[in-house]
Amino acid sequence: MSTPAFPGEPDSGPPADASGSPYAVKLALFEGPLDLLLHLIRVNEVEITDIPIARISEQYLATLEVIRDLDLDVAGEFLLMAATLAWIKSRMLLPPDGLDPDGEGSDPRAELVARLLEYQRFKQVAGELAERRWLGRDVFEAHAAPLEPRPQSEREVEAGVFELIEAYRRVLVRAGPSATPHEVEVETVTVRERMRVVMKALELRPSLEFTECLFTSERELPSRPIFIATFLAILELSRLAALRIYQGVDERGGPQGPIHLRRSDGPGSGAWGEQIAEVM
Amino acid sequence: MERSEQLSIAEALILASPEPIPLQRLASLIPSCKPAAARALVDELNAEYVMRGRAFEIWEVAGGFQLRTLPAFASYVQASQPERPLRLSQAALETLSVIAYRQPVTRAEIEYVRGVDADAVLRSLLERHLVRIAGHREVPGRPLLYATSRRFLEVFGLARIEDLPTLRELAELAPEGPASAHPTLDSVVSGSDAEERSGHAADEDDAEAWVEEADGESFDDEDPSGESH
Repeated sequence: MSTPAFPGEPDSGPPADASGSPYAVKLALFEGPLDLLLHLIRVNEVEITDIPIARISEQYLATLEVIRDLDLDVAGEFLLMAATLAWIKSRMLLPPDGLDPDGEGSDPRAELVARLLEYQRFKQVAGELAERRWLGRDVFEAHAAPLEPRPQSEREVEAGVFELIEAYRRVLVRAGPSATPHEVEVETVTVRERMRVVMKALELRPSLEFTECLFTSERELPSRPIFIATFLAILELSRLAALRIYQGVDERGGPQGPIHLRRSDGPGSGAWGEQIAEVM
Repeated sequence: MERSEQLSIAEALILASPEPIPLQRLASLIPSCKPAAARALVDELNAEYVMRGRAFEIWEVAGGFQLRTLPAFASYVQASQPERPLRLSQAALETLSVIAYRQPVTRAEIEYVRGVDADAVLRSLLERHLVRIAGHREVPGRPLLYATSRRFLEVFGLARIEDLPTLRELAELAPEGPASAHPTLDSVVSGSDAEERSGHAADEDDAEAWVEEADGESFDDEDPSGESH
Protein backbone atom coordinates (compact mmCIF):
# COMPACT_ATOMS: atom_id res chain seq x y z
CA MET A 1 0.00 0.00 0.00
CA SER A 2 1.58 3.21 -1.04
CA THR A 3 0.95 6.48 0.65
CA PRO A 4 0.46 9.68 -1.24
CA ALA A 5 3.47 11.81 -1.81
CA PHE A 6 3.98 14.60 0.61
CA PRO A 7 6.66 16.58 -1.07
CA GLY A 8 5.73 19.65 0.86
CA GLU A 9 5.74 18.19 4.33
CA PRO A 10 8.18 20.43 6.11
CA ASP A 11 9.34 18.51 9.09
CA SER A 12 12.99 19.37 9.16
CA GLY A 13 14.78 21.86 11.36
CA PRO A 14 14.67 25.63 11.04
CA PRO A 15 15.51 26.59 7.49
CA ALA A 16 17.75 29.40 8.68
CA ASP A 17 20.09 26.80 10.12
CA ALA A 18 19.58 24.42 7.29
CA SER A 19 22.03 25.52 4.67
CA GLY A 20 23.47 22.00 4.67
CA SER A 21 22.32 20.32 1.51
CA PRO A 22 20.25 17.45 2.97
CA TYR A 23 17.79 19.95 4.39
CA ALA A 24 18.16 22.50 1.70
CA VAL A 25 16.72 20.36 -1.05
CA LYS A 26 13.58 20.06 0.97
CA LEU A 27 13.19 23.82 1.09
CA ALA A 28 12.29 23.89 -2.54
CA LEU A 29 9.48 21.54 -1.77
CA PHE A 30 7.33 23.87 0.25
CA GLU A 31 3.96 24.13 -1.31
CA GLY A 32 4.22 27.89 -1.36
CA PRO A 33 4.98 30.96 0.71
CA LEU A 34 2.15 30.25 3.15
CA ASP A 35 3.44 26.74 3.68
CA LEU A 36 6.92 28.09 4.38
CA LEU A 37 5.55 30.70 6.79
CA LEU A 38 3.55 28.09 8.69
CA HIS A 39 6.70 26.05 8.97
CA LEU A 40 8.67 28.98 10.33
CA ILE A 41 5.91 29.76 12.79
CA ARG A 42 5.93 26.18 13.98
CA VAL A 43 9.68 25.86 14.41
CA ASN A 44 9.81 29.22 16.19
CA GLU A 45 7.00 28.04 18.45
CA VAL A 46 5.06 31.25 18.11
CA GLU A 47 1.35 31.85 17.76
CA ILE A 48 -0.05 32.44 14.29
CA THR A 49 -2.18 35.17 15.78
CA ASP A 50 0.86 36.96 17.19
CA ILE A 51 3.64 36.57 14.68
CA PRO A 52 6.96 38.24 15.50
CA ILE A 53 7.14 39.73 12.05
CA ALA A 54 10.74 40.93 12.21
CA ARG A 55 12.09 37.52 13.18
CA ILE A 56 9.90 35.54 10.84
CA SER A 57 10.51 37.73 7.82
CA GLU A 58 14.26 37.58 8.44
CA GLN A 59 14.14 33.79 8.44
CA TYR A 60 11.84 33.81 5.47
CA LEU A 61 14.32 35.84 3.45
CA ALA A 62 17.19 33.65 4.64
CA THR A 63 15.31 30.63 3.34
CA LEU A 64 14.81 32.25 -0.04
CA GLU A 65 18.55 32.90 -0.12
CA VAL A 66 19.24 29.23 0.53
CA ILE A 67 16.93 28.29 -2.30
CA ARG A 68 18.65 30.76 -4.57
CA ASP A 69 22.09 29.46 -3.60
CA LEU A 70 20.96 26.08 -4.78
CA ASP A 71 20.22 27.62 -8.16
CA LEU A 72 16.58 26.78 -7.80
CA ASP A 73 14.06 29.22 -9.13
CA VAL A 74 12.38 31.17 -6.45
CA ALA A 75 8.83 31.35 -7.64
CA GLY A 76 7.27 34.77 -7.92
CA GLU A 77 4.78 34.04 -5.20
CA PHE A 78 7.61 33.63 -2.68
CA LEU A 79 8.93 37.06 -3.63
CA LEU A 80 5.48 38.57 -3.40
CA MET A 81 5.19 37.26 0.14
CA ALA A 82 8.61 38.69 0.96
CA ALA A 83 7.32 42.08 -0.13
CA THR A 84 4.18 41.62 1.94
CA LEU A 85 6.24 40.77 4.99
CA ALA A 86 8.42 43.85 4.45
CA TRP A 87 5.33 46.00 4.16
CA ILE A 88 3.83 44.58 7.35
CA LYS A 89 7.12 45.08 9.14
CA SER A 90 7.25 48.72 8.14
CA ARG A 91 3.64 49.26 9.15
CA MET A 92 4.35 47.71 12.55
CA LEU A 93 6.97 50.38 13.16
CA LEU A 94 4.52 53.19 12.54
CA PRO A 95 2.03 54.33 15.11
CA PRO A 96 -1.57 53.41 14.26
CA ASP A 97 -2.82 56.10 11.91
CA GLY A 98 -6.36 56.04 13.19
CA LEU A 99 -7.63 56.76 9.72
CA ASP A 100 -9.08 53.33 9.21
CA PRO A 101 -12.83 53.81 9.64
CA ASP A 102 -13.62 50.38 11.05
CA GLY A 103 -10.44 50.07 13.00
CA GLU A 104 -9.63 46.72 11.50
CA GLY A 105 -6.46 47.96 10.01
CA SER A 106 -4.98 48.48 13.41
CA ASP A 107 -2.98 45.28 13.16
CA PRO A 108 -1.23 45.14 9.79
CA ARG A 109 -0.78 41.40 10.26
CA ALA A 110 -4.50 40.71 10.33
CA GLU A 111 -4.96 39.69 6.72
CA LEU A 112 -1.86 37.54 6.70
CA VAL A 113 -2.98 35.85 9.91
CA ALA A 114 -6.37 35.09 8.43
CA ARG A 115 -4.78 33.64 5.32
CA LEU A 116 -2.40 31.50 7.36
CA LEU A 117 -5.19 30.16 9.52
CA GLU A 118 -7.25 29.40 6.48
CA TYR A 119 -4.39 27.74 4.65
CA GLN A 120 -3.55 25.70 7.73
CA ARG A 121 -7.10 24.47 7.81
CA PHE A 122 -7.03 23.36 4.20
CA LYS A 123 -3.75 21.58 4.76
CA GLN A 124 -5.55 19.73 7.48
CA VAL A 125 -8.37 18.86 5.09
CA ALA A 126 -5.79 17.62 2.60
CA GLY A 127 -4.37 15.40 5.32
CA GLU A 128 -7.83 14.08 6.02
CA LEU A 129 -8.36 13.29 2.34
CA ALA A 130 -4.98 11.57 2.19
CA GLU A 131 -5.95 9.26 5.01
CA ARG A 132 -9.21 8.13 3.51
CA ARG A 133 -9.39 4.75 1.85
CA TRP A 134 -8.93 5.70 -1.77
CA LEU A 135 -10.51 3.85 -4.62
CA GLY A 136 -7.64 2.71 -6.80
CA ARG A 137 -5.14 2.69 -3.97
CA ASP A 138 -6.65 1.10 -0.87
CA VAL A 139 -9.88 -0.36 -2.13
CA PHE A 140 -11.05 -1.57 -5.52
CA GLU A 141 -14.54 -1.82 -6.90
CA ALA A 142 -16.21 -4.86 -8.36
CA HIS A 143 -16.02 -4.27 -12.09
CA ALA A 144 -19.24 -4.93 -13.92
CA ALA A 145 -18.98 -3.92 -17.55
CA PRO A 146 -21.72 -1.48 -18.49
CA LEU A 147 -24.22 -2.78 -21.02
CA GLU A 148 -24.36 -1.17 -24.42
CA PRO A 149 -26.75 1.74 -24.40
CA ARG A 150 -30.17 0.43 -25.33
CA PRO A 151 -31.29 1.70 -28.73
CA GLN A 152 -34.87 2.42 -29.60
CA SER A 153 -36.45 -0.68 -31.03
CA GLU A 154 -37.71 1.06 -34.17
CA ARG A 155 -34.30 2.31 -35.10
CA GLU A 156 -32.72 0.46 -37.97
CA VAL A 157 -29.13 -0.55 -38.22
CA GLU A 158 -27.27 -1.27 -41.35
CA ALA A 159 -27.00 -5.00 -41.56
CA GLY A 160 -23.62 -6.62 -41.82
CA VAL A 161 -22.54 -9.30 -44.26
CA PHE A 162 -23.00 -11.90 -41.56
CA GLU A 163 -26.70 -11.09 -41.23
CA LEU A 164 -27.07 -11.24 -44.99
CA ILE A 165 -25.44 -14.63 -45.20
CA GLU A 166 -27.57 -15.91 -42.36
CA ALA A 167 -30.71 -14.74 -44.14
CA TYR A 168 -29.45 -16.31 -47.35
CA ARG A 169 -28.93 -19.59 -45.55
CA ARG A 170 -32.46 -19.49 -44.19
CA VAL A 171 -33.88 -18.97 -47.66
CA LEU A 172 -31.85 -21.88 -48.99
CA VAL A 173 -33.26 -24.05 -46.25
CA ARG A 174 -36.73 -22.89 -47.09
CA ALA A 175 -36.14 -23.69 -50.75
CA GLY A 176 -35.31 -27.20 -49.71
CA PRO A 177 -33.91 -29.94 -51.89
CA SER A 178 -35.34 -30.14 -55.31
CA ALA A 179 -38.19 -32.66 -55.60
CA THR A 180 -37.46 -33.49 -59.13
CA PRO A 181 -34.50 -35.62 -60.17
CA HIS A 182 -31.46 -33.58 -60.69
CA GLU A 183 -30.94 -32.47 -64.23
CA VAL A 184 -27.82 -30.76 -65.39
CA GLU A 185 -28.67 -27.83 -67.56
CA VAL A 186 -26.98 -24.59 -68.31
CA GLU A 187 -28.82 -21.65 -66.97
CA THR A 188 -27.97 -18.39 -68.49
CA VAL A 189 -28.07 -16.38 -65.35
CA THR A 190 -25.53 -13.67 -64.64
CA VAL A 191 -24.87 -11.47 -61.66
CA ARG A 192 -25.22 -8.42 -63.87
CA GLU A 193 -28.69 -9.48 -64.92
CA ARG A 194 -29.73 -10.05 -61.32
CA MET A 195 -28.40 -6.61 -60.40
CA ARG A 196 -30.71 -5.11 -62.99
CA VAL A 197 -33.62 -7.13 -61.66
CA VAL A 198 -33.02 -6.00 -58.09
CA MET A 199 -32.63 -2.36 -59.09
CA LYS A 200 -35.76 -2.51 -61.19
CA ALA A 201 -37.67 -3.92 -58.26
CA LEU A 202 -36.33 -1.10 -56.09
CA GLU A 203 -37.50 1.46 -58.61
CA LEU A 204 -41.03 0.19 -58.23
CA ARG A 205 -40.91 0.09 -54.45
CA PRO A 206 -38.68 2.06 -52.09
CA SER A 207 -38.00 -0.91 -49.86
CA LEU A 208 -37.78 -4.62 -50.47
CA GLU A 209 -37.42 -7.49 -48.11
CA PHE A 210 -34.18 -9.30 -48.73
CA THR A 211 -35.78 -12.73 -49.01
CA GLU A 212 -38.37 -11.33 -51.41
CA CYS A 213 -35.62 -10.38 -53.85
CA LEU A 214 -34.27 -13.85 -53.95
CA PHE A 215 -37.49 -15.22 -55.32
CA THR A 216 -38.54 -14.66 -58.86
CA SER A 217 -41.39 -12.35 -59.68
CA GLU A 218 -43.81 -15.26 -59.80
CA ARG A 219 -42.86 -16.04 -56.19
CA GLU A 220 -41.76 -19.46 -57.19
CA LEU A 221 -38.59 -20.97 -55.89
CA PRO A 222 -35.72 -20.16 -58.20
CA SER A 223 -32.81 -22.42 -58.85
CA ARG A 224 -29.66 -22.26 -56.79
CA PRO A 225 -27.67 -20.49 -59.48
CA ILE A 226 -30.27 -17.72 -59.45
CA PHE A 227 -30.14 -17.58 -55.67
CA ILE A 228 -26.41 -17.27 -55.72
CA ALA A 229 -26.36 -14.77 -58.55
CA THR A 230 -28.97 -12.63 -56.83
CA PHE A 231 -27.12 -12.75 -53.53
CA LEU A 232 -23.90 -11.70 -55.22
CA ALA A 233 -25.80 -9.01 -57.10
CA ILE A 234 -27.09 -7.54 -53.86
CA LEU A 235 -23.62 -7.55 -52.33
CA GLU A 236 -22.25 -5.90 -55.44
CA LEU A 237 -24.99 -3.25 -55.49
CA SER A 238 -24.32 -2.58 -51.85
CA ARG A 239 -20.64 -2.17 -52.60
CA LEU A 240 -21.53 0.30 -55.36
CA ALA A 241 -23.73 2.10 -52.82
CA ALA A 242 -26.63 1.68 -55.19
CA LEU A 243 -28.66 0.27 -52.36
CA ARG A 244 -28.46 0.05 -48.61
CA ILE A 245 -29.21 -2.91 -46.46
CA TYR A 246 -31.10 -2.45 -43.21
CA GLN A 247 -32.29 -4.56 -40.37
CA GLY A 248 -34.32 -3.69 -37.30
CA VAL A 249 -32.96 -4.11 -33.80
CA ASP A 250 -34.40 -5.79 -30.78
CA GLU A 251 -34.63 -4.03 -27.44
CA ARG A 252 -31.12 -5.05 -26.47
CA GLY A 253 -29.64 -3.64 -29.62
CA GLY A 254 -29.11 -6.93 -31.43
CA PRO A 255 -30.25 -7.34 -35.03
CA GLN A 256 -33.80 -8.56 -35.32
CA GLY A 257 -36.47 -8.96 -37.95
CA PRO A 258 -36.30 -9.11 -41.72
CA ILE A 259 -33.51 -7.51 -43.70
CA HIS A 260 -34.61 -4.74 -46.02
CA LEU A 261 -33.02 -3.33 -49.11
CA ARG A 262 -33.45 0.35 -49.88
CA ARG A 263 -32.45 2.40 -52.84
CA SER A 264 -29.71 4.85 -52.04
CA ASP A 265 -30.49 8.46 -52.62
CA GLY A 266 -28.35 9.36 -55.54
CA PRO A 267 -28.31 9.69 -59.26
CA GLY A 268 -31.43 8.78 -61.17
CA SER A 269 -32.35 5.21 -61.83
CA GLY A 270 -31.08 5.26 -65.37
CA ALA A 271 -27.57 5.85 -64.16
CA TRP A 272 -27.50 2.53 -62.37
CA GLY A 273 -27.89 0.61 -65.55
CA GLU A 274 -24.81 2.30 -66.95
CA GLN A 275 -22.85 1.80 -63.80
CA ILE A 276 -23.72 -1.86 -63.67
CA ALA A 277 -22.71 -2.32 -67.28
CA GLU A 278 -19.47 -0.53 -66.52
CA VAL A 279 -18.55 -2.58 -63.53
CA MET A 280 -19.55 -6.08 -64.52
CA MET B 1 -40.87 -13.07 -0.92
CA GLU B 2 -38.42 -14.63 1.45
CA ARG B 3 -35.97 -12.24 3.02
CA SER B 4 -33.06 -14.48 2.10
CA GLU B 5 -34.12 -14.23 -1.51
CA GLN B 6 -34.30 -10.44 -1.27
CA LEU B 7 -30.83 -10.43 0.20
CA SER B 8 -29.50 -12.43 -2.70
CA ILE B 9 -31.23 -10.21 -5.24
CA ALA B 10 -29.76 -7.10 -3.60
CA GLU B 11 -26.33 -8.69 -3.69
CA ALA B 12 -26.69 -9.65 -7.35
CA LEU B 13 -27.86 -6.16 -8.31
CA ILE B 14 -25.01 -4.44 -6.50
CA LEU B 15 -22.45 -6.85 -7.92
CA ALA B 16 -23.67 -6.45 -11.50
CA SER B 17 -24.08 -2.68 -11.47
CA PRO B 18 -21.38 -0.94 -13.50
CA GLU B 19 -21.57 2.04 -11.16
CA PRO B 20 -22.83 2.64 -7.64
CA ILE B 21 -26.50 1.69 -7.65
CA PRO B 22 -28.73 4.25 -5.95
CA LEU B 23 -30.90 3.16 -3.04
CA GLN B 24 -34.15 4.03 -4.85
CA ARG B 25 -33.17 2.00 -7.88
CA LEU B 26 -32.06 -0.94 -5.79
CA ALA B 27 -35.37 -0.94 -3.94
CA SER B 28 -37.37 -0.65 -7.14
CA LEU B 29 -35.67 -3.72 -8.61
CA ILE B 30 -36.24 -5.94 -5.58
CA PRO B 31 -39.80 -7.30 -5.41
CA SER B 32 -41.84 -5.71 -2.62
CA CYS B 33 -39.01 -3.72 -1.14
CA LYS B 34 -39.06 -0.16 0.11
CA PRO B 35 -35.92 2.00 0.20
CA ALA B 36 -35.57 1.70 3.96
CA ALA B 37 -35.82 -2.07 3.66
CA ALA B 38 -33.26 -2.07 0.87
CA ARG B 39 -30.84 -0.22 3.11
CA ALA B 40 -31.44 -2.80 5.81
CA LEU B 41 -30.66 -5.52 3.28
CA VAL B 42 -27.33 -3.85 2.48
CA ASP B 43 -26.50 -3.59 6.16
CA GLU B 44 -27.34 -7.23 6.64
CA LEU B 45 -25.21 -8.25 3.68
CA ASN B 46 -22.28 -6.29 5.10
CA ALA B 47 -22.75 -7.91 8.50
CA GLU B 48 -22.78 -11.28 6.79
CA TYR B 49 -19.56 -10.49 4.89
CA VAL B 50 -17.85 -9.56 8.12
CA MET B 51 -19.10 -12.70 9.82
CA ARG B 52 -17.90 -14.92 7.02
CA GLY B 53 -14.63 -13.07 6.63
CA ARG B 54 -15.23 -12.09 3.02
CA ALA B 55 -12.66 -9.92 1.24
CA PHE B 56 -15.16 -7.26 0.22
CA GLU B 57 -17.88 -5.06 1.57
CA ILE B 58 -20.61 -2.80 0.25
CA TRP B 59 -19.84 0.91 0.32
CA GLU B 60 -22.22 3.76 -0.09
CA VAL B 61 -20.44 6.09 -2.49
CA ALA B 62 -21.51 8.82 -4.90
CA GLY B 63 -25.15 8.27 -4.11
CA GLY B 64 -25.20 4.50 -4.54
CA PHE B 65 -24.00 1.13 -3.32
CA GLN B 66 -20.88 -0.54 -4.60
CA LEU B 67 -18.94 -3.67 -3.74
CA ARG B 68 -15.32 -2.95 -2.90
CA THR B 69 -12.40 -5.00 -1.75
CA LEU B 70 -11.17 -4.56 1.80
CA PRO B 71 -8.10 -2.36 2.29
CA ALA B 72 -6.24 -5.36 3.75
CA PHE B 73 -5.98 -6.81 0.25
CA ALA B 74 -4.90 -3.60 -1.44
CA SER B 75 -1.36 -4.70 -2.23
CA TYR B 76 -2.56 -7.89 -3.92
CA VAL B 77 -5.23 -6.16 -5.95
CA GLN B 78 -2.84 -3.35 -6.88
CA ALA B 79 -0.48 -5.93 -8.34
CA SER B 80 -3.31 -7.32 -10.45
CA GLN B 81 -4.32 -3.96 -11.89
CA PRO B 82 -3.04 -2.68 -15.20
CA GLU B 83 -2.81 0.85 -13.84
CA ARG B 84 -0.49 2.00 -11.11
CA PRO B 85 -2.13 2.79 -7.78
CA LEU B 86 -3.59 6.25 -7.51
CA ARG B 87 -1.17 8.89 -6.29
CA LEU B 88 -1.94 12.50 -5.60
CA SER B 89 0.60 15.16 -4.70
CA GLN B 90 0.24 17.41 -1.69
CA ALA B 91 -0.56 20.25 -4.08
CA ALA B 92 -3.34 18.17 -5.64
CA LEU B 93 -4.78 17.27 -2.24
CA GLU B 94 -4.69 20.85 -0.99
CA THR B 95 -6.32 22.11 -4.17
CA LEU B 96 -8.99 19.42 -3.95
CA SER B 97 -9.62 20.43 -0.36
CA VAL B 98 -10.16 24.05 -1.28
CA ILE B 99 -12.48 23.09 -4.13
CA ALA B 100 -14.40 20.60 -2.00
CA TYR B 101 -15.20 23.16 0.69
CA ARG B 102 -15.53 26.26 -1.45
CA GLN B 103 -17.23 25.01 -4.56
CA PRO B 104 -17.96 26.41 -6.97
CA VAL B 105 -14.73 28.31 -6.81
CA THR B 106 -12.55 30.21 -9.25
CA ARG B 107 -8.90 29.57 -9.91
CA ALA B 108 -7.99 32.96 -8.42
CA GLU B 109 -9.70 32.03 -5.16
CA ILE B 110 -7.85 28.73 -4.99
CA GLU B 111 -4.58 30.52 -5.65
CA TYR B 112 -5.32 33.07 -2.96
CA VAL B 113 -5.92 30.35 -0.38
CA ARG B 114 -2.84 28.34 -1.28
CA GLY B 115 -0.62 31.27 -2.18
CA VAL B 116 0.61 29.58 -5.34
CA ASP B 117 -0.30 29.21 -8.97
CA ALA B 118 -2.97 26.57 -9.52
CA ASP B 119 -2.93 26.18 -13.29
CA ALA B 120 -0.99 22.92 -13.60
CA VAL B 121 -2.60 21.22 -10.64
CA LEU B 122 -6.09 22.16 -11.81
CA ARG B 123 -5.39 20.75 -15.23
CA SER B 124 -4.17 17.53 -13.69
CA LEU B 125 -7.25 17.25 -11.49
CA LEU B 126 -9.51 17.88 -14.48
CA GLU B 127 -7.68 15.18 -16.44
CA ARG B 128 -8.26 12.73 -13.63
CA HIS B 129 -11.91 13.75 -13.54
CA LEU B 130 -11.67 14.57 -9.85
CA VAL B 131 -12.72 18.12 -10.59
CA ARG B 132 -15.15 19.49 -13.11
CA ILE B 133 -15.93 22.88 -14.53
CA ALA B 134 -19.17 24.15 -13.10
CA GLY B 135 -19.73 27.15 -15.33
CA HIS B 136 -18.61 30.76 -15.11
CA ARG B 137 -18.90 33.31 -12.40
CA GLU B 138 -20.83 36.25 -13.77
CA VAL B 139 -18.27 38.89 -12.96
CA PRO B 140 -15.93 40.71 -15.34
CA GLY B 141 -13.72 38.20 -17.12
CA ARG B 142 -16.30 35.44 -16.47
CA PRO B 143 -13.78 33.18 -14.71
CA LEU B 144 -14.37 29.44 -14.78
CA LEU B 145 -15.82 27.86 -11.69
CA TYR B 146 -14.48 24.57 -10.41
CA ALA B 147 -16.33 21.94 -8.40
CA THR B 148 -15.67 18.40 -7.32
CA SER B 149 -16.93 15.63 -9.57
CA ARG B 150 -18.77 12.40 -8.99
CA ARG B 151 -15.41 10.71 -9.44
CA PHE B 152 -14.13 12.68 -6.43
CA LEU B 153 -16.86 11.11 -4.29
CA GLU B 154 -16.03 7.66 -5.63
CA VAL B 155 -12.29 7.96 -5.10
CA PHE B 156 -12.57 9.32 -1.57
CA GLY B 157 -15.40 7.02 -0.63
CA LEU B 158 -18.00 9.66 0.09
CA ALA B 159 -21.70 9.00 -0.33
CA ARG B 160 -22.25 12.70 -0.88
CA ILE B 161 -20.18 15.85 -0.58
CA GLU B 162 -21.87 16.74 2.69
CA ASP B 163 -20.22 13.70 4.22
CA LEU B 164 -16.91 15.48 4.31
CA PRO B 165 -16.24 16.56 7.87
CA THR B 166 -17.05 20.19 8.40
CA LEU B 167 -14.14 22.50 8.89
CA ARG B 168 -15.35 23.00 12.44
CA GLU B 169 -15.14 19.29 13.15
CA LEU B 170 -11.66 19.18 11.70
CA ALA B 171 -10.58 22.13 13.79
CA GLU B 172 -11.88 20.43 16.92
CA LEU B 173 -9.93 17.32 16.09
CA ALA B 174 -6.75 19.26 15.59
CA PRO B 175 -4.56 19.44 18.70
CA GLU B 176 -3.89 23.16 18.41
CA GLY B 177 -6.66 24.12 16.07
CA PRO B 178 -7.80 27.70 16.22
CA ALA B 179 -11.38 26.55 16.61
CA SER B 180 -12.68 29.66 18.26
CA ALA B 181 -11.15 32.14 15.90
CA HIS B 182 -12.77 30.95 12.71
CA PRO B 183 -15.28 28.26 13.43
CA THR B 184 -17.01 28.15 10.08
CA LEU B 185 -16.17 28.31 6.46
CA ASP B 186 -18.13 31.49 5.99
CA SER B 187 -16.43 33.40 8.69
CA VAL B 188 -13.09 32.39 7.25
CA VAL B 189 -14.19 33.66 3.88
CA SER B 190 -15.56 36.94 5.05
CA GLY B 191 -12.78 37.61 7.49
CA SER B 192 -9.82 36.99 5.29
CA ASP B 193 -9.96 37.80 1.72
CA ALA B 194 -12.93 39.93 0.95
CA GLU B 195 -10.98 42.45 -1.03
CA GLU B 196 -9.41 40.00 -3.43
CA ARG B 197 -12.41 37.88 -4.05
CA SER B 198 -14.61 39.04 -6.84
CA GLY B 199 -17.67 38.15 -4.86
CA HIS B 200 -18.50 35.58 -2.30
CA ALA B 201 -18.93 32.13 -3.61
CA ALA B 202 -22.65 32.33 -3.40
CA ASP B 203 -23.36 30.69 -6.69
CA GLU B 204 -26.00 28.22 -5.82
CA ASP B 205 -24.56 24.98 -6.93
CA ASP B 206 -26.71 22.35 -5.41
CA ALA B 207 -25.87 18.98 -4.04
CA GLU B 208 -27.14 17.20 -7.12
CA ALA B 209 -24.71 19.03 -9.32
CA TRP B 210 -21.85 17.49 -7.42
CA VAL B 211 -22.81 14.04 -8.45
CA GLU B 212 -24.36 14.69 -11.83
CA GLU B 213 -21.28 13.99 -13.82
CA ALA B 214 -20.62 10.33 -14.35
CA ASP B 215 -17.43 9.16 -15.87
CA GLY B 216 -15.72 5.86 -15.59
CA GLU B 217 -12.33 6.77 -16.83
CA SER B 218 -9.06 5.76 -15.39
CA PHE B 219 -7.76 8.13 -12.83
CA ASP B 220 -4.35 6.70 -12.46
CA ASP B 221 -2.14 9.21 -14.12
CA GLU B 222 1.33 10.10 -13.28
CA ASP B 223 1.71 13.02 -11.00
CA PRO B 224 2.59 15.79 -13.36
CA SER B 225 5.91 16.98 -12.11
CA GLY B 226 6.38 20.51 -11.07
CA GLU B 227 2.72 21.20 -10.55
CA SER B 228 3.48 22.88 -7.30
CA HIS B 229 7.10 23.74 -7.02
